Amino acid sequence: MSRRPEAPARGARRHRTRSTSRLRGWLRHHRAMALDSAGRLLRAPVGSLVTMLAIAIALVLPAALWLALDGARLLDAELTESATLTAYLAPGVEAAEAGRIDEALGAQPGVASTRLITADEGMVEFQQALGLEDALARLDTNPLPASVVVTPIDPGPAAMRALAADLEALSGVEEVRLDLAWIERLRHIGELGRRVALALAVLFGSGVLLVVGNTIRLAVESRRKEIEVVTLIGATHAFVRRPFLYSGAWYGLGGGLLAWGLLTLGGNWLAAPVAALAASYGASFGLPRLGLDGSVALIGCSMLLGWLGAWIAVSRHLAEVKPR
Amino acid sequence: MIEFQHVGKRYGGRFEALANLDFHVRRGEMVFLTGHSGAGKSSLLRLIMRLERPSRGRILVAGHDIDRLHPSQVPFYRRQIGVVFQDHQLLYDRSIFHNVALPLEIQGVEPREGARRVRAALDKVGLLHREKALPIELSGGEQQRVGIARAVVNKPALLLADEPTGNLDPQLSADIMALFEDFNRIGTTVMIASHDLALIARLRHRTLRLREGRLVGDQEAA
Repeated sequence: MSRRPEAPARGARRHRTRSTSRLRGWLRHHRAMALDSAGRLLRAPVGSLVTMLAIAIALVLPAALWLALDGARLLDAELTESATLTAYLAPGVEAAEAGRIDEALGAQPGVASTRLITADEGMVEFQQALGLEDALARLDTNPLPASVVVTPIDPGPAAMRALAADLEALSGVEEVRLDLAWIERLRHIGELGRRVALALAVLFGSGVLLVVGNTIRLAVESRRKEIEVVTLIGATHAFVRRPFLYSGAWYGLGGGLLAWGLLTLGGNWLAAPVAALAASYGASFGLPRLGLDGSVALIGCSMLLGWLGAWIAVSRHLAEVKPR
Repeated sequence: MIEFQHVGKRYGGRFEALANLDFHVRRGEMVFLTGHSGAGKSSLLRLIMRLERPSRGRILVAGHDIDRLHPSQVPFYRRQIGVVFQDHQLLYDRSIFHNVALPLEIQGVEPREGARRVRAALDKVGLLHREKALPIELSGGEQQRVGIARAVVNKPALLLADEPTGNLDPQLSADIMALFEDFNRIGTTVMIASHDLALIARLRHRTLRLREGRLVGDQEAA
């Protein structure tokens, strides 16, 4: 309104100092509001903890599922690496000829390595695996054919299928088996799990928004008078929002840290039985951990959701008090 | 300073709170706004503060059509107006000092400079010794003076007051009005809505009289 006229040269300098002091004031208010809202949370520890726990519980389920899928992916990679084809040779192929066929298979493009299992070796393995030594020992002749275990260079399902067809065309090879069905099944389950995890993350993320939104809505309600007064004397929407946004972010931080703690606790609790289960299958599979990246992502998402929930709650309130 | 051009305000499309208001308050003037309750005094002040917008006509404040302000500019516009409310609008969980400091806090004034200005304003209204008190510990008249200190701490060019002496006895009311006159003397444009006709008559300032939303009298200072 009424400003004293100033000389233009001084005006420019004044403008600069005014904008730096405004920036300083803005930073000061941010710091003050961050501390103020943290103080308010600490002054109502039970209520704050309940909100944070609600956030944590909403985050734990999708995060745990995501971790489990991460583990499944590791397992999948391990399995793919150990994917092999088995070429069964025609019955009655002699040991010397079996060796030649083994070499021929090894020379095929796309084959990384081969391992010959003669009919006798096959019998021994079979007996050991089934514990039927007595019953099988009574057989007069060995009914098993010799076989070659082929490790392909490319373990992808399409490449494996093509290689199987090529190998089957070689003379002396009766049949090539590749057991892809269960690997593919595992992949489908993995894909399904990923989608379920995504859907759950969206659902539970919305849950976090609602929890924080509702908590902040109540806080706004209890400070309605203050908001009214500062708006009357020229507070911007950003100024009004700021303490609530910090509250939302603090709730998110607390919820994220609690979720992290719950996941770590749950991981430790499940680690022993999972290791025992894996050992019984002869695999060394441990539960995957969050790691630094995962922890930062979890807590960051949680804070972001808290902030966003607060933003929505305050903005709704501000829209209500707009002048007509 | 304030110019109303054929301003009307309707609520809910039917009730006409203000009709065809046309007047001009010059810079540095002190003006009373009178009328029975419901005559439209508060509505008029709310229009100037842009808490509401006119249904018709134009309102110019310091030469700017305030209806054209972008919503994001409105807070900055309000910072240039000091407002004293009948019910004080103080925050009861903060000390007197922090209540008065609120407009400066909103503008990001540096705390040391802010404290100096807050104390100057409190000194002006005679409450410097109560700066640490909470509003609830103060009498009605003292609370009103805190409200005035908060309104002037920014050194606004325009000071609005809505029934500032509403619940005060005659002596306190006279003191409050004397404060407004002091601010007016140093160049602040002052507009006070009041139905205390006896007090207004004694003070001899320009008086705008409203009845049922219409301007029925514009009596220049005697």
